[in-house]
Amino acid sequence: MRPLVLALWGTVLLQSSLSGRLDLLLRGVFHPLVGLSGALLLGLAMLQLPGGLRRGGRRNQHTPWPWLLSGVVAVAVLLLPPRPSFSQLAANRSAPLETEPTLDFLLPPAQRSLTDWVRLLRSQPDPELYAGDPVRISGFVLQPPGEPPQLARLLVRCCLADATPVGLPVRWPAGSHPRSDQWFELQGQMGVERWRDQWRTVVIAERIRPIPRPRRPLEP
Amino acid sequence: MDRLATAWAIFQGLLLEALPFLLIGVLIAAVARWLAPGGAWLQRLPRHALLGPLTGAALGFALPACECGNVPVARRLLAAGAPLGTALGFLFAAPVLNPIVLASTWAAFPNQPWLLAARPLGALLLALALSRVLSLLPEADLLSRDLLEERRLSLPLSRASLLERRSGLVGLPEQPVRTAMAGTRPPLQEVLEHGSREFLDLAALLVLGCAIAAAVQTLLPRQWLLAVGSAPTLSILSLMLLAVVVSVCSSVDAFLALGFAAQVTPGALLAFLVLGPVVDLKLLGLLGVVLQPRAIALTAGTAAVLVLLLGQWFNLALL
Repeated sequence: MRPLVLALWGTVLLQSSLSGRLDLLLRGVFHPLVGLSGALLLGLAMLQLPGGLRRGGRRNQHTPWPWLLSGVVAVAVLLLPPRPSFSQLAANRSAPLETEPTLDFLLPPAQRSLTDWVRLLRSQPDPELYAGDPVRISGFVLQPPGEPPQLARLLVRCCLADATPVGLPVRWPAGSHPRSDQWFELQGQMGVERWRDQWRTVVIAERIRPIPRPRRPLEP
Repeated sequence: MDRLATAWAIFQGLLLEALPFLLIGVLIAAVARWLAPGGAWLQRLPRHALLGPLTGAALGFALPACECGNVPVARRLLAAGAPLGTALGFLFAAPVLNPIVLASTWAAFPNQPWLLAARPLGALLLALALSRVLSLLPEADLLSRDLLEERRLSLPLSRASLLERRSGLVGLPEQPVRTAMAGTRPPLQEVLEHGSREFLDLAALLVLGCAIAAAVQTLLPRQWLLAVGSAPTLSILSLMLLAVVVSVCSSVDAFLALGFAAQVTPGALLAFLVLGPVVDLKLLGLLGVVLQPRAIALTAGTAAVLVLLLGQWFNLALL
C-alpha cells in the first residue's frame, strides 16, 4: 500500500505541475520544486514497488488509516481541480500596503498592467499626473462594498493563502453590467474623479471585452 | 458554494506548496540516518542548557527549509539520541535562522534594519525559552510515544535502561524496531522505506493542518484581524492570530507581512514574523510526531505569551 500512496502523491504533484494547475495556486518560483518533488515521489514508489508486491503476496499488511485517508485526499485533489472565486477571495482580504517605494523602472502607459498602475499610483498618488494617459489592462471584476465595481488582480507571494487584491476604480461604459469574477480586457484612459471628498484616479473605460481567465491569473 | 470552492483551492495551494519542503526535510533526515547510523556524533552535541539550544539553532543554517521541512529533521535528531535542548533549539529556531528566511526578510524589508536583527534574535530567544520550559517535563511526558521508544533504543544503556526500552519486554506486543544498530549502516532499501513511511505519516498530518487552515481562512475575514492595527496590544494579538491562521511557510511570510506592514505597529509585525514559524494551524498536526499533545499546548501557550511580551517591548521602544 505504501508505494501506491506515495505514487498517488507523486502523481498529484507532477500532474499539478504539468497541467498548469499550479498557475492558479502558487507563485511561479515554486513550480519547479513541486514538479521535481512529484518525480522524486514517483521514483521512490517505483523503487519500493517490487518489495511491496512480494510482501503483499506473502501476508496481508495493516495499512495505517491516516495513509488511507491521505490517499483518498490525493485522489480528490486529482479529480477536483481548484475553482476559486477571486472576488470571494478578495472580499475576505485586506488591500496590501498603503505606500510603495519609488519604482525603479516604468513602462509606457499603454503597456502597464493593472498591477503596474496600482504600484505607480501608490508610489506617486497625485491623480493629475496621469490624467489622459492611455490604459490597456485586464483583470477580474471586484465589487467593493458601497462602491462601483473595480477591475482587480490578486497578488501572491507564496500561494493562494496569502493572495491580496489590488484594484482600480473604473467608470464603466454606459449600459455595461459587469458581474463579480468576470474577466475583462479594458481600453480607455486615466481620468480624475471626486470620491468621498477626495480626488482619485479612475479608469475611464472606452472599450471593454470579456476574456477567459488568463492561464496565469496571479501576479507576484 | 463559492466559499467552499475557494476553501478547496486555498487547501490545495497550502498543501502543494508545503509538500516539497516536507519531502526535503524527510530526505535530509533519511540521508543523515544512512550516513550516520546510530547518530553517535549527535549524542556528543552539547547538553548545556544554553549551549545546547544555541547549537541546535545554528544547525538551522544547514537546512534551508521552512518549518514543515525541519520537523522530520528534528524528529531524527531526537530519535538518534541528540540532547533534548539541542533538538528543541533546532525545531523552534531553524525555521527562521536559515539563509533563505533571512534573505527573504531582508528582501522584503530592506529599509527596516531593526527588523532584520530583531527577527532572528526574537526567534532565538523564543527557541531558548521554549527549550528551557519543555526540558522541565520528563521525556516520557514530552515526546510522542513512538519517538520516545526509538530514542531510548538509540541511547546508551547508561542513559536508557533495558526496562525503559519497551521493545522486547515480555507481555508487550512486538514493536517493529525502526532504528539501526549503532555503527552499522542500514541497507539503502530500508532507509528508503523508513523515509517513505515518515513522509506518509507527516503528509497525512499536513493534510489535516492545511484543511483546518483553509477552512478558518475562508470563514474568518482578514479585515477583522487587521482592523485594530494601530492599537499597540490588540494589534500584536491580532497579528499573532493571523500568523497562526494563515500558516504560510517561514521562507515567504516576510513578503506577506510586507502587505500590511504599513497598517500595523512594529511590535505586531515582529510578533507575526516570530510566532508563525513556531506555531500555526498547519504545523500543529506535524508537531504531533515529535511532541505529546500536552507539550504542544505548552509550546503554543508559552510561545504566545513570550511573543506578546516581545511585541509589547518593541512597541514601547519604537513607538
